[in-house]
Amino acid sequence: MRLLRWVAMVTLLSSTVGCSNIEAVPAWERGYLAEPGMQWELSRREAKFAGHVYTSKEASSGGSGAAGGGCGCN
Amino acid sequence: MRQAVAVAVTKHRLDSAVLQKLPTDSPVVASLGAAIASLPTYQKAFADAPPAFTEVGLRYSHYTEDSLDKDLLVFGDRDRYDIDVTQLWIEAPVGGAWSVAFDVQNDSMSGASPWFVGTNLDGEPGVIMSGASIQDNRVEVGVTTRYFWADGNAGFNVTHSDEDDYEALAFSFDAAWNSDDNSRTWSASASTSDDSVAPVKEAIPVFIDQEELDTQSLYFGVSQVLTSTSIVRVGLSYTISDGYLTDPYKLADQRPSEHERVTLNTGYRQYFVEAGGALKMDYRFYNDDWGTDSHTLEVAWQQSLGRHSLTPYLRYYSQSQADFFSVIADTSTDFYADDYRLSSYGAITAGLRGTVMIGDWEVEGQLERYDSDNSFSLYGGDAAPGLVDFWRATVGVTLRFD
Repeated sequence: MRLLRWVAMVTLLSSTVGCSNIEAVPAWERGYLAEPGMQWELSRREAKFAGHVYTSKEASSGGSGAAGGGCGCN
Repeated sequence: MRQAVAVAVTKHRLDSAVLQKLPTDSPVVASLGAAIASLPTYQKAFADAPPAFTEVGLRYSHYTEDSLDKDLLVFGDRDRYDIDVTQLWIEAPVGGAWSVAFDVQNDSMSGASPWFVGTNLDGEPGVIMSGASIQDNRVEVGVTTRYFWADGNAGFNVTHSDEDDYEALAFSFDAAWNSDDNSRTWSASASTSDDSVAPVKEAIPVFIDQEELDTQSLYFGVSQVLTSTSIVRVGLSYTISDGYLTDPYKLADQRPSEHERVTLNTGYRQYFVEAGGALKMDYRFYNDDWGTDSHTLEVAWQQSLGRHSLTPYLRYYSQSQADFFSVIADTSTDFYADDYRLSSYGAITAGLRGTVMIGDWEVEGQLERYDSDNSFSLYGGDAAPGLVDFWRATVGVTLRFD
């Protein structure tokens, strides 16, 4: 069951991250983290569009959050 | 002074340089530390604050697949799909803690696609195309509401997609919340989609009237600030589909009625202060119960040019073939398919994206090339003759205002 394995990995991930000891960066030193290039997506609509194209043309999907949104897959 | 520093923090770039020149034992910084830390400044790297502006945007993309190589064609039209995609959206803050986004997308498709794989006069595998050009139009409408609080946010989305032969209604819920020191963000989402396929009986024979498909998906991820210029994330997703998963437009296609897949995805961002640019790296491992594994690696460099930006990017993708795939479908087994999308192959994408700010308007442009080939794959397996290559171009404008 992939679901059970997935739940086990989530649990492991949560506990591993919880145990990590990374020194917090002070709030006043976080300006560069807010740069556009530091965001996870180029843009939300671009990510949605590109995700739909790749999901339609490749066997793989998932990994970017929630699923859904029709076919368009010929 | 307090207000000036707070404003400086909120307006990222120049301000970070100013702030980082302040000694950490500065009484100003010390007295404002808690207040600054509580500001909802660092959108997306952490749980979001409500958008400060109303945003209205319009994008147009043209997607065009290369014609099938004549050596790989047995019968039919070599021309493949062209798709025109229009995206329109408005996103606005509502009150002090909510936002609402309304998205509309229209896909206009035309062209032919592989019907099945046979052999040519030399005995080599070749594609029989679907014959006459297929016309289809898809309209997708989505609404997202989001609530923000001091340590996180939560959103609810409903999306309806309708085309001639396919209808889907999807709901999703997501949430993100921060650690006490705002260094770590947990995020989770769940979604469900109720789909219905009713193939159009025109160009090629199909053997069903209407079938249903249900899909549920879960995601859990964590992002962590490593340094003042780097951040990393890792996430896991699980998706299960139950229902009709066969492609009704393929002559020789019979797939299992259940499909489980998991992904492990990671991302890393590193800002280079001297260069004024950011290195973006993402990797995804995918595994499903149809026997397919895949690796996806994306690398981009986002160069800031004042208020403008230029982003070249590369993507490498490789997948193994599904257990029931064969170049020419073996219809003597329970499940079979000759769909190139289930074959073993690799693909390389190269693209360039640019944004230009003109007053309150952002103008974007993007060009991308996708090439796939069996020889690009990390896995063994025979080459499917129907692999696709395509170009994609996008232009768009976004207006932000109070």
